[in-house]
Amino acid sequence: MRLSILQEKLKEGLNIVERVSSKSLSLPILNNILISTEKNFLNLAATDLEVGINWWVLAKIEKEGKITIPSRLFSSFINLLPNKKIDIKEEKNNIFIECENYNTQIKGISADEFPIIPKINEGESVSFDINLFCQSVNQVVDIPVLSTTRPEISGVYFYFNKNLITITATDSFRLGEKKIFLKNSFNLKKEYSLIIPQRAVKEIINIFGEKKGELKVYFSTNQIMFESFMEETEHSQIQLVSRLIEGEYPNYKEIIPSKYATQIILDKNEFLNQIKAASLFSGKANEVKIKSGSGDKTIEISSQSSELGSNKSLIPAKIKGESVDISFNYRFLLDGILNIKSSEIIFELNSDSGPGVLKPVGDDSYIYVVMPIKAS
Amino acid sequence: MTNEELWQGVLAQIQLNISQANFATWFKNTSIVSQKEGRLLISVPNSFVREWLENKYNKQIFKIIHNLNEEIKEIKYSVGKASEKAVKKASIDLLESDQLEFQELKIDKETNLNPKYIFDSFIVGPFNELPHAAASAVAENPGYIYNPLFIYGGVGLGKTHLLQAIGNEVAKNFKTKKVRYISSEKFTSEVVLSIKNHQIDSFKSKYRAIDVLIIDDIQFLAGKEKTQEEFFHIFNVLYENNKQIILSSDCPPKAIHSLAERLRSRFEGGMTADISNPDFETRVAILKTKAQEKKVDFPIEVYNYLASSIQKNIRELEGALNRLIAYQKINNKQLDLETIKIILKNVLMSPAKVITPKKIIQTVAEFYDLKEKDILDCSRKKEIVRPRQIAMYLLREELKSSFPFIGRKFQGKDHTTAIHSYKKIAKEIEKDKKLEEEISLIKERVLSS
Repeated sequence: MRLSILQEKLKEGLNIVERVSSKSLSLPILNNILISTEKNFLNLAATDLEVGINWWVLAKIEKEGKITIPSRLFSSFINLLPNKKIDIKEEKNNIFIECENYNTQIKGISADEFPIIPKINEGESVSFDINLFCQSVNQVVDIPVLSTTRPEISGVYFYFNKNLITITATDSFRLGEKKIFLKNSFNLKKEYSLIIPQRAVKEIINIFGEKKGELKVYFSTNQIMFESFMEETEHSQIQLVSRLIEGEYPNYKEIIPSKYATQIILDKNEFLNQIKAASLFSGKANEVKIKSGSGDKTIEISSQSSELGSNKSLIPAKIKGESVDISFNYRFLLDGILNIKSSEIIFELNSDSGPGVLKPVGDDSYIYVVMPIKAS
Repeated sequence: MTNEELWQGVLAQIQLNISQANFATWFKNTSIVSQKEGRLLISVPNSFVREWLENKYNKQIFKIIHNLNEEIKEIKYSVGKASEKAVKKASIDLLESDQLEFQELKIDKETNLNPKYIFDSFIVGPFNELPHAAASAVAENPGYIYNPLFIYGGVGLGKTHLLQAIGNEVAKNFKTKKVRYISSEKFTSEVVLSIKNHQIDSFKSKYRAIDVLIIDDIQFLAGKEKTQEEFFHIFNVLYENNKQIILSSDCPPKAIHSLAERLRSRFEGGMTADISNPDFETRVAILKTKAQEKKVDFPIEVYNYLASSIQKNIRELEGALNRLIAYQKINNKQLDLETIKIILKNVLMSPAKVITPKKIIQTVAEFYDLKEKDILDCSRKKEIVRPRQIAMYLLREELKSSFPFIGRKFQGKDHTTAIHSYKKIAKEIEKDKKLEEEISLIKERVLSS
């Protein structure tokens, strides 16, 4: 293998694929990335056997070939090089790097040992705007927690319909649902429901989040592939393949309350601030109290800790319905509030032990349901 | 040679040819699914393994298999059920803080059962020995011993717990049996929905395929004729095929008002068992177990005090205990009996419900599906006279109203009429068990409305 490429380009690719190459003790080759050539393209690949990433870039290829080298070492080194042309040469499982005043040799392992990242060939695919998708997913991705007892809810649930993508996540204490209404409907023969591991979803956001253009998704029974394309030519730039979590996502629609006993509309930033202030005194249980009488024009947010002291604050709000006296874990409230983009928030409550709902004003694409702390 | 032995043979030999790391990575959780006409299907945990075995080890595997079994001509790989990796649960300390969860997520979608209800956590005392014994017998041998099993008792005494425990136990012991738990309210709405969508046939076949059908709070079927009819047919099909049916209600079948006679007699055909109020010792035992579950401990006087103050409802008992635990946590100190009395004051002495003559008459009218006006009128129709007498009886019993007062309430009837009514009902109660149940139900409704 012999090729030349600009340092900046190579660095960009390494930063992307390096993310999934893992420190694996059982299979050391997973620490490596695969470097290979395909006609006019250089291909970098890495995998941890759950997620696999392929990245391509145009490069001057003089001789084809492939090899794997330790990813951390290679990427740290390339990061330090000046933004100049780099010549890379492979010989007997070693690579030789030449760039301006640097002359380096790195030991590699034969490419034959490297896992094969599955390809998705058959099945349907759809495309949509990368930015919108990543921003939407970002609103729920932090909710799930890893759990062995309920692997289904440790992932993020995606539902693809003709003109709608629904993204849902829960950790059994709260649940976020984001809808993307599509302007141009998909040409799908059927609907797709799938659960993607949380880590893979986070990588998708990290990797594609900054990109512009279209993201293409390929469906298959056990896995899913996300693909973005090069600006300069019609070739895929990044492909991310992830396994899917088996099992059926719970019927979460039942959780979202259809009615409310009390509806509070209030300013987002003020609410955020006061919850943060109350959180300082919330003690180990993270408990903050929210209170309002029926007919009041304000709600009271309070917290107390036997060691630290107590706090009480008022916030003006439009209140409809019954009086309220309810406690929440402030962290769960903050997670919901921070993902709401509008300046005002609708906060709906159902008794002191029923789920509360946070949603933006004038936007029905996002909803966040949170369970209270049992009144004591 | 069985599939298992064949694959073990492959694993044993391939081990020698590849590194331990590779072996552990690529051959873990693999197995032979099927072997048909020389084709072998191998299940692998994920697509990476499939690609790898197909492309790298296929030749070796094939050679070994061919040596062991010459009939095999082709090997295929498919991604099967992966056993999930053991991941440590992110340790968020939420359990201590009474953070509530979405109950919907815990429920098994297939059976509708909540796994938290099991026999082990069900506390048996003299008051529920019979239903518990019947339930355990049914769980061991569903469909043959007591069919249907009908459990009744007041609110908060553990009917649902017992019912779900049977379901969970059967689901655990008989993997192939289809268990379904449903509340009668859900059942009704399913009937309505299937009629609306013209899918009554698929509704029927869905229920007829069930091995253990558990319906909670069957008394709510009262008055819903179409649902009763559907249920009647389902009941018959299941019963004839020796499928277990388990029902619960807040009163015995006899006392369920406006229930079709044919259903009533069927409910009584199996085993009826009632859960009565727990005795003092059991209440203390329940409190202790609950406290243990929540990892707290109180002195025995506290349990005794709670058990003696709350007598009828286990749910209330638990609520009071939770209150104490919360209080103790906030204030970080051991509670003494005096403080406890103060904390629980408003739980125990909830303002006595005010019962008015109007409320009694209203409830009686509602109970018998009459208009309030009918009862107060002077009609002598039998179906009205009887409820009127019951209303008079209750006015006397519950409110100690004077007979002339009662007479005046009913459009100026003579006080002797009131005396007659009161005596008549009082006498009949002694003989007629059904009437007694009816009246106690009405009383309950008056108190709870």
